[in-house]
Amino acid sequence: MSKLLDKPLKTFTLYALFILACSIPAYYLVVDYIWLNELDEHNEIIRTRMEQGLNDIDIDEQTLAQTLNVWNNVQPGTTIAPALPNDVREDSIYTASKLNIYSDDGEIDRFRGLQTYLNIYGRPYKLTIETNVEEVDETLFAIALITFLFFGFLVLGFILLNRRISGQVWLPFKKTLDKLKDFDLNKQSEVVFDKTDIEEFEELQTVLKQLIQNNASVYLRQKQFSENASHELQTPLALLKSKLDMMLQDDTLSEAQYEKISSLNLPLSRVSRINKNLLLLAKLENQQFDESFPIDLGALIDETTSLLADQAEARDISTVLKIDHQTMVTGNKYLVEIMLTNLLVNAIRHNVSGGAVAIDLTGRVLTISNSGSKPLKEERLFQRFGNASPDNPSSGLGLSIVREICQRYNWKIRYDFKDGLHTFSATF
Amino acid sequence: MKILIIEDEQELAQNIADYLSGESYLCEHAATFGQAIDKIESFSYDCILLDLMLPGGSGLEILESLKKQNKQEGVIIISAKNAIDDKVKGLQIGADDYLAKPFHLSELSARVYSIIRRKQFGNSNIVRQNELEIDLLGKTVKVANQVINLTKKEFDLLLFFVGNKNRVISKSALAEHLSGDLADMLDSHDFVYAHIKNLKKKLNEVHCDNHLKTVYGTGYKWEG
Repeated sequence: MSKLLDKPLKTFTLYALFILACSIPAYYLVVDYIWLNELDEHNEIIRTRMEQGLNDIDIDEQTLAQTLNVWNNVQPGTTIAPALPNDVREDSIYTASKLNIYSDDGEIDRFRGLQTYLNIYGRPYKLTIETNVEEVDETLFAIALITFLFFGFLVLGFILLNRRISGQVWLPFKKTLDKLKDFDLNKQSEVVFDKTDIEEFEELQTVLKQLIQNNASVYLRQKQFSENASHELQTPLALLKSKLDMMLQDDTLSEAQYEKISSLNLPLSRVSRINKNLLLLAKLENQQFDESFPIDLGALIDETTSLLADQAEARDISTVLKIDHQTMVTGNKYLVEIMLTNLLVNAIRHNVSGGAVAIDLTGRVLTISNSGSKPLKEERLFQRFGNASPDNPSSGLGLSIVREICQRYNWKIRYDFKDGLHTFSATF
Repeated sequence: MKILIIEDEQELAQNIADYLSGESYLCEHAATFGQAIDKIESFSYDCILLDLMLPGGSGLEILESLKKQNKQEGVIIISAKNAIDDKVKGLQIGADDYLAKPFHLSELSARVYSIIRRKQFGNSNIVRQNELEIDLLGKTVKVANQVINLTKKEFDLLLFFVGNKNRVISKSALAEHLSGDLADMLDSHDFVYAHIKNLKKKLNEVHCDNHLKTVYGTGYKWEG
């Protein structure tokens, strides 16, 4: 993960590099253009001066030829020679690279040349002026060196500024973040953010405040709902149950009537079970079970299996326990108990008559397996009412509660079917 | 023995009263917080059945005021909320028992019975029922000074029957009593039959009369 400000820094740096690299040829072209222009001007001045100078001095033709000869010898960049009138052409300006004959290391120099024709005493002369210009590579090298030096300063500045800015600018953000980390919906504490003069953070805080307030009120309403729903449903259920109990006390009941009344007990129990489980799920989603303590899982399994021993015995199901009594898990005891009970009840009720239930707790892994004939549909298994079927009625909520509890504590629950065994394994 | 039923659901209160009004129980009813406070201040009871959500106030406040007045009544909370924190709070303030709705009247009756016995008999926890001598504390049963070796579940069953004397108890109520919350998760309540058979056999062995009657195959009744 990279920090927010480091991302633009990288882009900015690359952009600066790109721009500065592009500026090198641009600088070069501009500098070269100015340079050559200046030299052309310079060459033109020399030409004008020579023409005027030579026309102004009053010498004969022979002396002029001698003077020009001397001139040509001492001024190697400038040659002047008589030309035929037919040869006179337009002035030409050129750039040439040639060996510097005055240098020992045989280096190539660049020259800016002007070829022109002078008119001295009415006769044409051809004048060539060549002036040394800085070489292409030297100019480019100098510009590139300076550019990259400044690029270095730029990057260094970016990094230093970035560090200072991120420290200052993100301070309110960090404080807000810390406040949020400390926030616990369960405790219904109010969040007070520090004041900030940055518009975006101010907006963030306002939105967060609203979000928290909304959530808190939804949470409260949910909590009240589960309590009220419980009350509203459990009381009529209690009434039904008590009515049934009262009816059973009637001495005049016939056997058929008696059986009808007592057979109502089972569906009634199922309804109250579903109600209880739905409320439990609602409470779980509301995170209403917040106290966590270390729990001796092995002991809890022993307790739960002994409670279920009757039922297992009634169905002729044998129970094989292999328990590592060192395993401690942290959670709400009530919830862990429910999770174990649901898994074990499942293993007993979805078993074949005369089958077996194996419970294995090794290290941080608990596996509960039972005999079965065909694999269950895994994708429907942990869904609410996912496994409700007419031939195997159950509340259909047991496994979704198990999953909810596992999710709450970041435990992993998985289902496998292999060699005629349904296996649920929970990793703590 | 006087029992106060604090419950706002009129019909439920009536059913409870009808069921408990056997033996020597005399039931009174309070439907609101105010009525309950009035009754508690004016009279004393052997056992109070307390609903937590009442018109006019919370049952927990009634419990607090009972404890403030130093009343010795046994209190069973009968709540629909079944919230763990209520349960813990209620027991901490001084309730003797907690029963979540919906419950079987036979379960309630058995709990009322055991609370009244506990309060009444103080140190001696011996209950006599027909020719049976039940030691609540030692969890032993004797007939003519002969000890019957009952398992924990058989002992529980026996007390359950004694607390519901002359009442028909359904098999599902017995199953719920024996395995609590688990009973309604399992389809088969046949294990109840096995325990009853054993209990009957053990009582027969010491020549105890057969008070435990089967009603139409699915219910039971202790006659005595």
